[in-house]
Amino acid sequence: MALPNQQTVDYPSFKLVIVGDGGTGKTTFVKRHLTGEFEKKYEPTIGVEVHPLDFFTNCGKIRFYCWDTAGQEKFGGLRDGYYIHGQCAIIMFDVTARLTYKNVPTWHRDLCRVCENIPIVLCGNKVDVKNRQVKAKQVTFHRKKNLQYYEISAKSNYNFEKPFLYLARKLAGDANLHFVESPALAPPEVQIDLAAQQQHEAELAAAASQPLPDDDDDAFE
Amino acid sequence: MDDLEKAILFSFDESGAVDSVLKSQAVNYCQQFKENPSICTVCIEKLCFCKIVQVQFWCLQTLHEVIRVKYAAMSSEERGFVRKSVFSMVCYGSIDEKSAVRVLDSPAFIKNKLAQVLVTLIYFEYPMIWTSVFVDLLPHLSKGSVVIDMFSRVLNALDDELISLDYPRTAEETAVAARVKDAMRQQCVEQIVRAWYDIVSLYRNSDFEVCSSVLDCMRRYISWIDINLIANDAFIPLFFELILANGLSEEFRGAAVGCVLAVVSKRMDPQSKLSLLKSLQISRVFGLVKEDGESELVSKVAELLTGYAVEALECVKRLNSENANVVSMELLNEVLPSVFYVMQNCEVDSTFSIVQFLSGYVATMKSFSPLREEQLLHVRQILEVIYTQICYDPMYRDNLDVLDKIGIEEEDRMVEFRKDLLVLLRTVGRVAPEVAQVFIRNSLASAVVSSPDRNVEEVEAALSLLYALGESMSDEAMKTGSGLLSELVPMLLQTRLPCHSNRLVALVYLETVTRYMKFIQENNQYIPMVLTAFLDERGIHHPNIHVSRRASYLFMRVVKLLKAKLVPFIEKILQSLQDTVARFTSMNYISKELSGSEDGSHIFEAIGLLIGMEDVPLAKQSDYLSSLLTPLCQQVQALLLNAKTLNPEESPAKITNIQQIIMAINSLSKGFSERLVTASRPAIGLMFKQTLDVLLQILVVFPKIEPLRSKVTSFIHRMVDTLGASVFPYLPKALEQLLAESEPKELAGFLVLLNQLICKFNTSVHDILDEVFPAIAGRIFSIIPTDTLPSGPGTNTEEMREVLELQRTLYTFLHVIATHDLSSVFISPKSRGYLQQIMQLLLYTSCNHKDYLVRKACVQIFIRLIKDWCARPHGEEKVPGFQNFMMEVFAMNCCLYSVLDRSFEFGDASTLILFGEIVLAQKVMYEKFGNDFLVHFVYKGFSSAHCPQDLAEQYCQKLQGNDFKALKSFYQSLIEKLRLQQNGSLVFR
Repeated sequence: MALPNQQTVDYPSFKLVIVGDGGTGKTTFVKRHLTGEFEKKYEPTIGVEVHPLDFFTNCGKIRFYCWDTAGQEKFGGLRDGYYIHGQCAIIMFDVTARLTYKNVPTWHRDLCRVCENIPIVLCGNKVDVKNRQVKAKQVTFHRKKNLQYYEISAKSNYNFEKPFLYLARKLAGDANLHFVESPALAPPEVQIDLAAQQQHEAELAAAASQPLPDDDDDAFE
Repeated sequence: MDDLEKAILFSFDESGAVDSVLKSQAVNYCQQFKENPSICTVCIEKLCFCKIVQVQFWCLQTLHEVIRVKYAAMSSEERGFVRKSVFSMVCYGSIDEKSAVRVLDSPAFIKNKLAQVLVTLIYFEYPMIWTSVFVDLLPHLSKGSVVIDMFSRVLNALDDELISLDYPRTAEETAVAARVKDAMRQQCVEQIVRAWYDIVSLYRNSDFEVCSSVLDCMRRYISWIDINLIANDAFIPLFFELILANGLSEEFRGAAVGCVLAVVSKRMDPQSKLSLLKSLQISRVFGLVKEDGESELVSKVAELLTGYAVEALECVKRLNSENANVVSMELLNEVLPSVFYVMQNCEVDSTFSIVQFLSGYVATMKSFSPLREEQLLHVRQILEVIYTQICYDPMYRDNLDVLDKIGIEEEDRMVEFRKDLLVLLRTVGRVAPEVAQVFIRNSLASAVVSSPDRNVEEVEAALSLLYALGESMSDEAMKTGSGLLSELVPMLLQTRLPCHSNRLVALVYLETVTRYMKFIQENNQYIPMVLTAFLDERGIHHPNIHVSRRASYLFMRVVKLLKAKLVPFIEKILQSLQDTVARFTSMNYISKELSGSEDGSHIFEAIGLLIGMEDVPLAKQSDYLSSLLTPLCQQVQALLLNAKTLNPEESPAKITNIQQIIMAINSLSKGFSERLVTASRPAIGLMFKQTLDVLLQILVVFPKIEPLRSKVTSFIHRMVDTLGASVFPYLPKALEQLLAESEPKELAGFLVLLNQLICKFNTSVHDILDEVFPAIAGRIFSIIPTDTLPSGPGTNTEEMREVLELQRTLYTFLHVIATHDLSSVFISPKSRGYLQQIMQLLLYTSCNHKDYLVRKACVQIFIRLIKDWCARPHGEEKVPGFQNFMMEVFAMNCCLYSVLDRSFEFGDASTLILFGEIVLAQKVMYEKFGNDFLVHFVYKGFSSAHCPQDLAEQYCQKLQGNDFKALKSFYQSLIEKLRLQQNGSLVFR
C-alpha cells in the first residue's frame, strides 16, 4: 500500500482516509507528525498525498498510511475512488466555519458507500481559535452514527494522538491498547490553554472598562 | 486488457508499483476518455465484460457523473439505453447474451455505486418518465438473496441521496424528494411493504443477513410511509417473534428491534400514540436486557426501551384527560425499572439518550408536587444510577493520582461523561432536594468506611455529587443551611478522609468546601476549621503540586468572601504561608505546567486581600507589605544587574523568574484600593511607586522579551488602577518603551492600556496622548489594511486574526478618544499628517464593515467630531475642509448610499441601532451646517437617488422639527420607498 519509493514495512499497517471540506486543516493535521512528513510522497497528478504515520503501541509498532485528499474535493482526481480499500477514516471539520460541519453527513455518506463498517473518527479542528462558530454542544452527528468525536487543534498539537489511538484500538480490537511513546511532532505554533485564555480575556476586558469589575468568581463558576 | 482498463488500473494503484510519470499519463488518459461522446456505451459495455473492480468502479463513477451533470444533454435513445442497462444490472440480468459478468457478483462498494447510479436516474425520471421502476423491480426479488440485497441497497441509497433529512439539501432536491415520496406512496409503497413481509417470512430461518438488510431498510422508511402498513397484526407479532427468537443472529434480532423503535418514534397525535404504545406489550422484551449485559442486542433493546419511555412521557405531558394521563403514566412506570436496570448493569451506547430522557422525566415531576411514593422511588433510583455511573474504576487509581498519560485520558473521559449526569443530578436537586441530600449524606458516610479497594472512588463520587448539588441550590438555602445542609457541611469539615492523599479526592474536597462557603459566611464558628482545611496538608500544603496550586486559588476565593472576618487570623495565616510564598519566587520553581487558574500566584492575591484591608493598622500593614515587596524588588534588581553578563543558557530561567516575581507583586497589589493607597495611607502608595520604578527598569534591560513586556503591561494596568493620577510621572517613559518595535498583538495590548488611561483620567491624559499618538498612528497604518480585508480560504491565519484584532482595538481606541473630549489630539500639529488616513478609514468602515456595531462606533465618532470641530456661529473653520467632507462624502456615502443597499436589513436589531446613529448624524449636521447641509444632502443627494419632490420636502420638515423618533421612522420609510422605486436598477458606489 505504499507509494513509489516508500518502503513497505513488516508491521501492521492500515489505509486511513482523511476527508472533509477544503480548508478544514487536514493537511496541517497530518503534517504535524514529523516522521510521516519526512517520508510522505506527493502524487501531484492524482492530487493526493500519502503520509506514512508510525505509532508505537504496547503491542508493537503500527503504521497508518494517511491518504490526504486535499485540494481535489470536488472534481478531478479519483474522488471517492480514493476510499477504496480504506480501513479507517477521519472526517474533519473546522469549528470556526459552520458550513464545514453541516457538510459532515455528506462526507460520511460518501465514505460509507465505499467503505462499509470501518471505524471513523470525527474531528473538530481549530479549537485554539477564539471565536468558534460550532460549539462543542452543537456537535451531535457522531452520536447518531456511533462515531468517536474529538476536538483538536492541529496548530497546537492538542489531542493529536487521540484519533489515531481510537482507530488503533478499534482495528486491533483491543480497548486497552495504548501508545507507549509519543511520535515526534512539530512544535506547536500556538499554545492552547483554555484557562489562561479565559484569564487573559478577562484581564483585557477588565482593563478596558472602568471601573474594574472583579469578575473571576463568575468566570469559574 | 485494453488501454482504458490498463489506465484505470494504473491510476487506482495503491501498491506503489506504478511510477508517477506513468500514473500521471494514466490519469490524464482516463480523464480525456470521459469526453468521448459514447462514454455511456463504453462504460456499460465494460461493466458487462470486465471483472476488475477498479474498472467497474470507474465506469459506475463515470456513469453517475455523466447522468448527474449532462442529463439534459443526453439524447432520449441514450437515456433509454442507460436506463435499460442499469436496470438489468440491478436485477442480476445480462444486458446481452454474450455478457459474461454480472455486477452484483462484485464487492459491496461496487453494488453501492450501482445503486447510486440508479438513484440518480430516479432523481431525473421518476415518476414522469420512468414510472415503473419500482414496480418492475419487485418481480425480480424472487431471484433470491442477491437481488433482494441489491433492492435494499437501492432503497437505502434513495434514502441517503435524496429523502433523509440528515443531509443538507438544495431546494430543488427537497422538491424532488417530495415528488418521489408522493408518487411512491400512491403507487408502490404498499407492494414494497408486502414484499418485505414475504421476504422476511420466507428467509427468516435460512438467510439472516438478507433479512437484516431488509429490516434495516424498512426502519428508514417507517417515518414517512403510512404507519398502518407496519403497525398491524402482521408485522408487530413478526417483529417480536424475531426479537425473542433465541436461535437467530443478534444482528437480525437487532434489526427487528430497530423497526419497533421506528414504529414507536413515528410522529402522530398523542392519543393514537398512546394506543399504539399500549398495543405493543413492550414488557415482552424486558427479559432480554438481563441476558448478557454487553451484547449488541442489549444495546439495541436499551435504545428501544428508552425510545418507548420518551414517547410515554410525551403522552403524559400532552394528554390532559384524567384517564389517558393515568394510562400513559402506567406505561411509563412499567418500562422504567428496565431502563434503570440497563443503566446500572449494561455497557450500552445509549447512556446519553437515557440520561436525556431521565432529565426530561425529572423535569416533568416539577409539575406534580408533592411527589407520589412511586416517583420518590424513581428519584432514589435515578440518584443511585448517577452515583454508580460517576464512580471511577479503581484500576485507574494510580494513573489518576500521578496523572500520567492514561490518567489524563481517563479523567478527560470522565469529566466529559459526567457532564450530563450532573445536570441530571441538579435537576433532581431542584425537584426533590431532601431526597438528594439524604442520599448524598448516606453515600458519603458509607463511602468513608467502605473497603480500601473501593473507598477512594466512592468518596470522590459522593463528594462530586455534593459539589454538583451546590450548584442547584439558591443563595438563601445555602446561607440558612436548609435541609440537611447544616449537618452536611460541618461533617465535611470535620471528616478526616482516609484517602485524602489522593489527588482527585483532595481536589473535589476543596472545591466542595469552597462551594458551600456562603454557609460559613453565616456560621462563623466554622471559620477556624475552614482555615485549617486550606492551610494544612489537605490544601496548600498537600504534597501533590496540582492540589496545592488549586488550593491557593480556592483559598483566594474564600478570603475574598470572608476577609472582614479573617482579620484576627492574619498573623497565623501569614506564618503558615511563608514557605509557599518563598517557593513561588525562587529560581527553581517549576513553572512548566503553568496554567491560568493554577499558576500559584493566587496565594499572593489572597495575602494582598488580607493585608490590604483598612482594618489592619497602618504600622502592621506597612510591615507586612514591605516584608513581601522589599525582597522581591531586591531580587529583580539583582537579576537586572547581572543581565548584561547573562549567558544564553541561564537567561530563560532568569526571565521566567522575573515573570514570576511580577505576577506575585501584581497579585499582591489587587488587595489594595486606590482610596487607601492615595488618600488614607500615602505611605503604602509610596511603596508601590518604588516597586513600579524597579519593574519599569525591566523594559529597559529586556526591551524585546515579549512575555516580560506583557507582564509589565499588566502591572501598569494594575498601578493605574491602584495609584490613580499619581502614576502619571511614570507613564511617558513606560509608554515609549512599550511602543518601540511592537508587533500587532503587542500593539493591541498597548491600545488597551491607553483606553484604560483615557477612561479613567479623561482629559488629564491629553498631553501624554498627544505625545504618543503620532507614533501609534504611524505604526498602525503601516500594519492594517485600510479598505477591504482579504477573505476566502487561506486568509484565516493567526497573523490575519491578530491584525483584525488590532483593527478592532483601534476602533475602540478612536471611539474612546472622541467620546472623552480628546478629539483635539487628532488635529494637533504633530498628528495632523494622519488625519486624512483616519478619516478615510472611519468613512470606509462606517459604510462597509460587516459588524454593524463597529460601523455604529464610527458614526458616533463622526457625530462627536462634528460637534467638536464645527461650532456655530460661523467663525473660521477649525479644521478646513472637514465640513465639506462630512456633507459631500460622509453624508452621501454613509447616510444615504450605505442604507439604500439592500443588505442593510431593517429587521435586524443591531442594524436599527446603527440606523438611529446615522439619522442622528444627519440631525447634528443640520444643526451645525444649517441650510448648507440641506443643499448638499437633499437637493443633490436625494435627487441622485430619484427621490420624489414631496418626500424630500417632508424630510426637510421632519429634520427641522423636534421629534427625533418621527424623523427616524420617516427616514426609514423614505429609504424603503426609494429602494422599491429603484428596484435594483441603480447601483451606487
